[in-house]
Amino acid sequence: MIFKRLSSSAALKKTALYDLHVQLGGTMVPFAGYAMPVKYAGQTHVESHIWTRTHAGLFDVSHMLQSRLEGPGATQFLHRVTPTDFQALPAGQGTLSVLLNARGGIVDDTLITKVADNKFSIVTNAGRAKEDIAFLNEQVQGFECRWEPVRDRALLALQGPEAKHVLGSLVAGGLQSLQDLYFGQRRSFRAGTGVEIDVARSGYTGEDGFEVSVANSDATDLARMMLENSAVRAIGLAARDSLRLEAGMCLYGHELDEDTTPVEASLNWLISKSRRDGSLGEFNGFSHIMGQIANKSATRARVGFKYLGKGPAARTDAPVFSDEGKTQVGHVTSGSAAPSLAGINIGQAYVQKGLHKAGTQLFVGVRNKIFPIQIARMPLVPSHYYKSN
Amino acid sequence: MIRTCAQSTLRASSRLSAISPRLFLRAQSSNALTKTQPPFTFSKSGPSSVKYTSQHEWIAAHQDGTAFVGITKYAADALGDATYIELPEADSELEAGDSLGSVESVKSASEVYQPLAGTVLEGNESLNDTPQLINEDPMGEGWIAKVRLNDLADMNGEELMSLEQYEESLKEDH
Repeated sequence: MIFKRLSSSAALKKTALYDLHVQLGGTMVPFAGYAMPVKYAGQTHVESHIWTRTHAGLFDVSHMLQSRLEGPGATQFLHRVTPTDFQALPAGQGTLSVLLNARGGIVDDTLITKVADNKFSIVTNAGRAKEDIAFLNEQVQGFECRWEPVRDRALLALQGPEAKHVLGSLVAGGLQSLQDLYFGQRRSFRAGTGVEIDVARSGYTGEDGFEVSVANSDATDLARMMLENSAVRAIGLAARDSLRLEAGMCLYGHELDEDTTPVEASLNWLISKSRRDGSLGEFNGFSHIMGQIANKSATRARVGFKYLGKGPAARTDAPVFSDEGKTQVGHVTSGSAAPSLAGINIGQAYVQKGLHKAGTQLFVGVRNKIFPIQIARMPLVPSHYYKSN
Repeated sequence: MIRTCAQSTLRASSRLSAISPRLFLRAQSSNALTKTQPPFTFSKSGPSSVKYTSQHEWIAAHQDGTAFVGITKYAADALGDATYIELPEADSELEAGDSLGSVESVKSASEVYQPLAGTVLEGNESLNDTPQLINEDPMGEGWIAKVRLNDLADMNGEELMSLEQYEESLKEDH
């Protein structure tokens, strides 16, 4: 039995909430160059996970890279690096998207919010900050706009069915003021004694919830106000990962990389219909990606799966077989027991096209044994987004 | 409340340690074998020897050469909620260091190794339905395998640690 000892966190960056994490008994681990809490004292991973699905979980996601993009050419620039229509997107609305390289591969996945015409707020992955900064600085050349990272703001995610009551009790307009803030929308609010916060109704758990951008100097106060509510517990990275896996969301480096197109990643919905004829500008990798759509030429697809019986979970890189362990037809990208599904094993994988349909029975190999799985529609646990219809 | 507990522990410890430092350690250690479960109760007088590995397995051997293997409380706490335990098949002949099974948590899988050469008699089937036993009582009800040792004298091998040595190694680990 071997477990990896965590190296000293001496050289790691700290978010504005670092001291709070330590006070709360957070087990701090290195993550994307930051010291981040993987779990907190007094709750197990499974308890944290279930708490978020039934009450409200507070996550520090300040390690993620917040940035802003502004200038007359901002939309045009986004239409080069993403396949999403940012012209039609209403102000105050955000959307998931992907940054694309020249081959149509995914440089990162991102949440981009249109603050106003030609003014955007962008959140990208902490683990890709270096690559994203190099990529965006290089790509933005020649466009009439300015892209810059935001370094003085923290990002708190409040997720779960009670999140709206918690935040509602803190903002000046009360719960009422959140009622017309639908999934994907973002607005500014005042919390407590006048703390300015930017609230996006979004998240990475599949639950209703919010991602709140706040000045570093106000972040700890805001987090403490939230934690004073008995419905809220601080939740670490371990549960964040199992929650997103159940929600069918991608984790960069697992489901997504620079050699994977959004078509292969089963993210066609990110490629706006209005972007497909090129009239709003061709995005990077346009011909390759549109060719995959037009000719159905992608050879693999990202899928979700569930075990049909018990067994050890198929983890990253476990092989997927079409029959009793002879013909490999794919590989697992993420996998674990699902706390919300009574512990049955779930995962995501890439499999050969044709074997990707829900209900298809395949096998995964774990340490020389094979276990039957079934391709399942994602999300693997129903989502509870707050939508207008 | 916390202070009260600490004080009473302190008093108890000074009294006990006056009698026997070793006894005190055993009484206090969470990595000591549970006395009410098969790894201990298999023989009337309890196991003839209990040893620990640097990989956080424990092995409790009885006079007739039967031994129970599990993971320590320290390891179970570090792994978190167990979700699945891979058990060895009966009659498997294993050398010391061979894989005996694995303990899965939501986050990770950790291999469990056979501390000494022997033949598997049975895996603890109750872990199939209740993997949480690994967290609740890793030193007793959550035993992983029952084995017949090739040679009971192997329990005296230098690679294995006594409880005192194991606890000491954990301190060095920190």
